[in-house]
Amino acid sequence: MNRRGFLKMATGGAVGAALLQTEACRVPLQQQKAAKDVVPRLEIPTTCDMCVNKCSMIAIVEKGVLKKLNPNPENPKSKGMLCARGNAGIQQLYDTARIKHPMIRTGERGEGKWKVVGWDEALDFAAQKLSAIKEKYGPQGTLWSSSASFQEVFFRNLSQAFGSPNSVRHPTLCLASVNLAYSVTFGTVPSFDVQNARYIIMSGANRLESFITPDTMDLIDSTTERKARLIYLDPRFTKTAAKADEWYPIKPGTDLAFILAMLNVIISENRYNKEFVSTYCSGFEQLAEHVKQYTPDWAAEETQIPAKDIFRIAREFSDAAPRAIYYAGRRSSWSRDDFSMRRGQAILNAIVGNWDRQGGMVPNAKVELGELMFLPWDDPVAPRVDELDKNFPLAAKGDGVYLKLRENVLAGQPYPVKAWMIYKQDPMSAIPEQEKTLQMLRQMDFVGVIDIQMSDTAWYADVILPESTYLERLDPVEMLGGIRPVVLYRQPVVKPLHDTKPAFEIVQGLAKRLNLSQYFDYTMEQWIAEQVKPLPMDLPLDYMKKHGVYSPPQYPKYGSTLSPDHRFVTKSGKIELLSERLREAGYDPLPVYHQPSQVPEGKFRLVLGRHAFFTHASTSNNPWLNSFSPENALWIHPKPADSLGITDASLVEVASGVGSVRLKARVTPKIRTDCVFMQHGYGKRSPWLRLANSGGSDAQLIETAWDTVSGGAALHETFVKVRKV
Amino acid sequence: MKTIEWQYLIVSYLFLGGLSAGLYFVSALTELFRKDDDSAQEHIARLGALLASWPVMLGCTLLVFDLGHWYRAYKLFLHFRWESPMSIGSWLLMLFIGISLIYAYGWTSRDGREHFFGRLPRRLRFLGILNVDVAPWRRPLAIAGLPVSVGVAIYTGVLLGAVQSRPFWNTNLVAQLFLFSALSSGCALLILVLAMRSRKFEMYQFRSLYLLDVCFLTLEFFIVVPYFIHGELSVEAVRESLKLVLGGPFTMVFWVFLMGLGLVLPWAIEVREVVPLFLTHVQLLPRMGVATPSPAGASVSVVSELSALAPPANKLHFSRGWAVAAALLVLVGGVLVRYIFVFAGQMSAIR
Amino acid sequence: MAMRTKRYALAIDAKKCIDCKACVVACRAENGVPLGKSRNWINEELRGDWPKLMEVFEPEQCHHCEAPACVRVCPTGASYQRADGVVAVNPSECVGCRYCMIACPYDARFFREDLGVVEKCDLCAHRLDRGELPACVETCPSKVRIFGDLNDPTSEIHQILEKRQYRLKKREAGTGPQIYYLL
Ligand SMILES: Nc1nc2c(c(=O)[nH]1)N[C@H]1C(S)=C(S)[C@@H](COP(=O)(O)OP(=O)(O)OC[C@H]3O[C@@H](n4cnc5c(=O)[nH]c(N)nc54)[C@H](O)[C@@H]3O)O[C@H]1N2
Ligand SMILES: Nc1nc2c(c(=O)[nH]1)N[C@H]1C(S)=C(S)[C@@H](COP(=O)(O)OP(=O)(O)OC[C@H]3O[C@@H](n4cnc5c(=O)[nH]c(N)nc54)[C@H](O)[C@@H]3O)O[C@H]1N2
Ligand code: SF4
Ligand code: SF4
Ligand code: SF4
Ligand code: SF4
Ligand code: SF4
Ligand SMILES: [Mo]
Repeated sequence: MNRRGFLKMATGGAVGAALLQTEACRVPLQQQKAAKDVVPRLEIPTTCDMCVNKCSMIAIVEKGVLKKLNPNPENPKSKGMLCARGNAGIQQLYDTARIKHPMIRTGERGEGKWKVVGWDEALDFAAQKLSAIKEKYGPQGTLWSSSASFQEVFFRNLSQAFGSPNSVRHPTLCLASVNLAYSVTFGTVPSFDVQNARYIIMSGANRLESFITPDTMDLIDSTTERKARLIYLDPRFTKTAAKADEWYPIKPGTDLAFILAMLNVIISENRYNKEFVSTYCSGFEQLAEHVKQYTPDWAAEETQIPAKDIFRIAREFSDAAPRAIYYAGRRSSWSRDDFSMRRGQAILNAIVGNWDRQGGMVPNAKVELGELMFLPWDDPVAPRVDELDKNFPLAAKGDGVYLKLRENVLAGQPYPVKAWMIYKQDPMSAIPEQEKTLQMLRQMDFVGVIDIQMSDTAWYADVILPESTYLERLDPVEMLGGIRPVVLYRQPVVKPLHDTKPAFEIVQGLAKRLNLSQYFDYTMEQWIAEQVKPLPMDLPLDYMKKHGVYSPPQYPKYGSTLSPDHRFVTKSGKIELLSERLREAGYDPLPVYHQPSQVPEGKFRLVLGRHAFFTHASTSNNPWLNSFSPENALWIHPKPADSLGITDASLVEVASGVGSVRLKARVTPKIRTDCVFMQHGYGKRSPWLRLANSGGSDAQLIETAWDTVSGGAALHETFVKVRKV
Repeated sequence: MKTIEWQYLIVSYLFLGGLSAGLYFVSALTELFRKDDDSAQEHIARLGALLASWPVMLGCTLLVFDLGHWYRAYKLFLHFRWESPMSIGSWLLMLFIGISLIYAYGWTSRDGREHFFGRLPRRLRFLGILNVDVAPWRRPLAIAGLPVSVGVAIYTGVLLGAVQSRPFWNTNLVAQLFLFSALSSGCALLILVLAMRSRKFEMYQFRSLYLLDVCFLTLEFFIVVPYFIHGELSVEAVRESLKLVLGGPFTMVFWVFLMGLGLVLPWAIEVREVVPLFLTHVQLLPRMGVATPSPAGASVSVVSELSALAPPANKLHFSRGWAVAAALLVLVGGVLVRYIFVFAGQMSAIR
Repeated sequence: MAMRTKRYALAIDAKKCIDCKACVVACRAENGVPLGKSRNWINEELRGDWPKLMEVFEPEQCHHCEAPACVRVCPTGASYQRADGVVAVNPSECVGCRYCMIACPYDARFFREDLGVVEKCDLCAHRLDRGELPACVETCPSKVRIFGDLNDPTSEIHQILEKRQYRLKKREAGTGPQIYYLL
């Protein structure tokens, strides 16, 4: 029985659990109509958008006012939970600091002088600017950047229909290296069956603060119920560390040494899965030869994890296989060698044979959705401005490589880029070295931002096109693959409060003015109707409206790729321990360890991470969330703090090679002596983000560096000086 | 959510409530035991009676303004909840204020009343029926009011002492301490006013007040001592809470200001004033034919040696300056008792 | 007191708590709790020396005591206990004397300056009456709180308390707390 219905049944209430589930949207309304004195209470199932996880929820609406967001237990990923941010979604909707009308800049960029305009004027203005730049520099003179959203597809389609090759997304700030590493190895990026694993190793994947559903809930379950053993490596004592069976404050940037030593032990002690390796993998001999040099004693020096523990963990891990996983991690934008580290994990997972097995790695199942056919456009003719082919031949074309792109735009190479359209992204906060991002904004002839609040990026825009929030709009249906794939529906729960539009309508409005209407000649309803067509029920749209989520019952399924003639999507059709693609592209085909640069005397390595109650840089202005941590603080270990005369809460100045910020110190033993940490999303420039305006901004400190294979930003390669002020 | 909810308004209220109770108590006691022709004693009784109602009424006003809803205070009198010290206290206070007002009325002079009612505007003339002489009821009122005043004085302590979750408070000694501190405050205020205003009397004529106050202060002292002994022998939480005054934020105020300046010093002053009086009495004993506790005779000689030090009764000099000082110190001590207990109590908790 | 037909209570499996604060925000949203105040909170404690650190999180709120001190001391009856064990405050009877706050051994209550009344967790009584779970119970990613009727032998809480050992906080305060911290 599900939890939501627990009391209904227990108390023998009039409405049974099943009824509540299926008639969620309608029954209460009808019931209430009978009794006039009761305020009608609507229960509308929809999907959270306070972060990337897309949890299912039920909005409680009375008299057109959103009262509460409750979790919807029908989603097997979010499993009847809504996190702090999900619960605080109400505040995003009713935030007084939202952008309430389209606006055009009147003063200097960043001066904060705006003219409130109607949509026609705003769209005319943006379209005219874009056309002028296209005229002068060609369509490639425009840059289109966005982060994941159900409506992102329209924005991206517009960029392509417009003819620009230059779209850039968040992955190279986030998970590009891990995605590429697993792709080159397995031909796909699998999920990890955390729920059924018996032995889990995590390198800085802070699942209990950085929520990923269902992994977060599965991990709580498997560790706190002692079903699995969790080995956690992180320079910080995170909440995940607090629940782990073993925590090792590893020296940052050395995880690959730990992994290679595990490979060394497992192979030299014949603990790998011989049958699996010989049937499904290629390149084992070369791997075995390659890892001979990487002994636990050597790795102990590098990682500062005792050799005996490396031996033991390697043995325990292989003993527990196939229900043993070296969890991939999500934000893998750590070091210049991040890709190799993720490759090492993938190989380690492969040789113990946890592929497509319960408690191991499972290739993602999907639910087929339909697609609306629209007029195709011609592919852009110009090459990308970040010169992916030359610099990062294996990187995902559609995502781009953000830092290289910024370098080229700033240099005007290979051609000028003079317009920047930004959708649901805050590059000023999300990209390292804010000063350069600011330069990039400043060198644009036109900047258009589609956002819901005055982000630091919006503050420097020429026109702001305010989007309706996720609680006010109808979005395309979204499929989320995984061990249990789901189809998600997001419907408006209240009418738009302000003069805002969904991205789709903004895109249509721009397309019309850019003479691209023919490519957007449909409605959202038509789009959705096509999407849901293949779903296996009579009235799929009604089903989605009532339930908000569909999860096919036949999952989880294991072993569908486990037959000797299965071809993996790799060059050889096998799991490539030694990667042909890497070799061809001129990279090391096996992961080679490079010692990270050492922390200079008197400095600290700046590491990043999340709190469970903030999303990136975008929720620190939410009063309910902000109250848990009204400003950020610099974590510093008592030992170095002592010698610098820093006490808890004293103000410190943190300086890197590219900037310096001031914030309060938090003296805590929860961090290595050679690292400092600060929470992302504070020290904002935009005065409209009143609450997030305190503390310091990490984006101002982080230096530009990237992983050479994936192009992923290397966010932990910055050394800072700390001084008491 | 740990906050200090009851602050200075409550401290003042508890002090003022106790003060009124003390005034009434002393006045009533004096009235009941005074000799008819002792005008100094009558003066004490009258002064106490006329003063007793005001502090508590001021205190209640402060209390009402400390409520989240001052205009909802009437709700306190829509319920009687015998389990709630505050409910009992509210009713008790009303009763006390009523009795004390009537009692005070009984001490008003006929001329004064005539004057007052005679000058009422025509429309209010009907109030003339209130012009009655309740002086004959003074004694019955004193008898009836005595237990009520003791109740009010005790209640201010029970209000805190009844809270089981605050180990600093949770002993019946708090109620006793508050009782004697209240009575002593009443005495002290009377001494203060008399010392400053009653020029036609000599201070030694008010020696009964000194005697009472010395008793109350002594009792207070012997409550504080067991309070600590008792506490130290009690459970962990209580021992922990005592640290607030034994090496905590209240150590200084407690030992230096309360115990030192608010209790021991005024006690010493008052004792200094009344000991000669005792000695005079001792000197008188043999003359009144009371048998000396001989046979050894040694004690007799000690006594007589001692009594030699005492001046004759009519020469007793009570200093107004010392009286004012002692009384002020006692009053400050009374405030401090409330202050320390209200604040430290709320800071104490079961862990 | 007459035998209750229902006795609602909470069991808390604190070792599952990850200090994510979802319960705190859910309560704020459900009950309009003003910023700066909270009906529920997470106690945290860091122990040990680097690198052998240990951190525990323990959610807490009103214990819905069997002999609630808050109800006993309330002069107006604004604080009361329902037949199902829920201890609640009737704001229209509350004079805001805050005696109950001082009497509560768990500091579970707070004063609302804006309304002049005292407030605290009421186990989401309005949700219970609709047959729903309390907001904090429902939203928790770890399902740390187990809510139910102790008198119902088929309830999860009843069964879990039969199987597992538990701890009650500050029993010596004598209020008969009804949050069962599972060991
Ligand atoms: N220093 C530092 N940098 C980082 C990271 C880090 O941890 N530290 N993390 C990296 C990672 S993993 C990622 S994924 C990226 C994320 O970087 P971004 O994608 O920039 O993520 P957010 O900071 O959440 O910013 C999203 C923007 O979208 C806006 N927004 C929110 N909802 C809506 C909506 O419904 N419509 C529209 N139009 N706009 C909306 C918000 O107001 C905000 O301005 O950051 C990366 N950069
Ligand atoms: N609450 C919340 N949840 C989120 C998000 C959010 O913003 N808020 N964002 C979502 C997104 S987009 C992403 S990408 C994920 C990110 O989730 P994660 O992949 O877990 O990334 P971070 O939270 O940035 O955690 C990185 C951790 O790695 C540690 N670390 C740093 N350097 C090293 C190293 O060299 N070795 C090891 N072993 N550890 C290291 C850091 O101390 C930090 O604790 O979270 C998702 N979930
Ligand atoms: S993890 Fe939290 S913020 Fe993200 S979608 Fe789920 S409920 Fe919303
Ligand atoms: S929601 Fe659950 S896991 Fe999160 S803080 Fe509250 S009790 Fe702990
Ligand atoms: S925990 Fe406190 S507020 Fe709750 S019932 Fe017990 S005494 Fe009353
Ligand atoms: S504050 Fe309100 S609920 Fe609390 S004791 Fe006073 S009247 Fe009762
Ligand atoms: S039960 Fe309801 S009122 Fe009590 S803490 Fe949980 S959400 Fe808040
Ligand atoms: Mo990310």
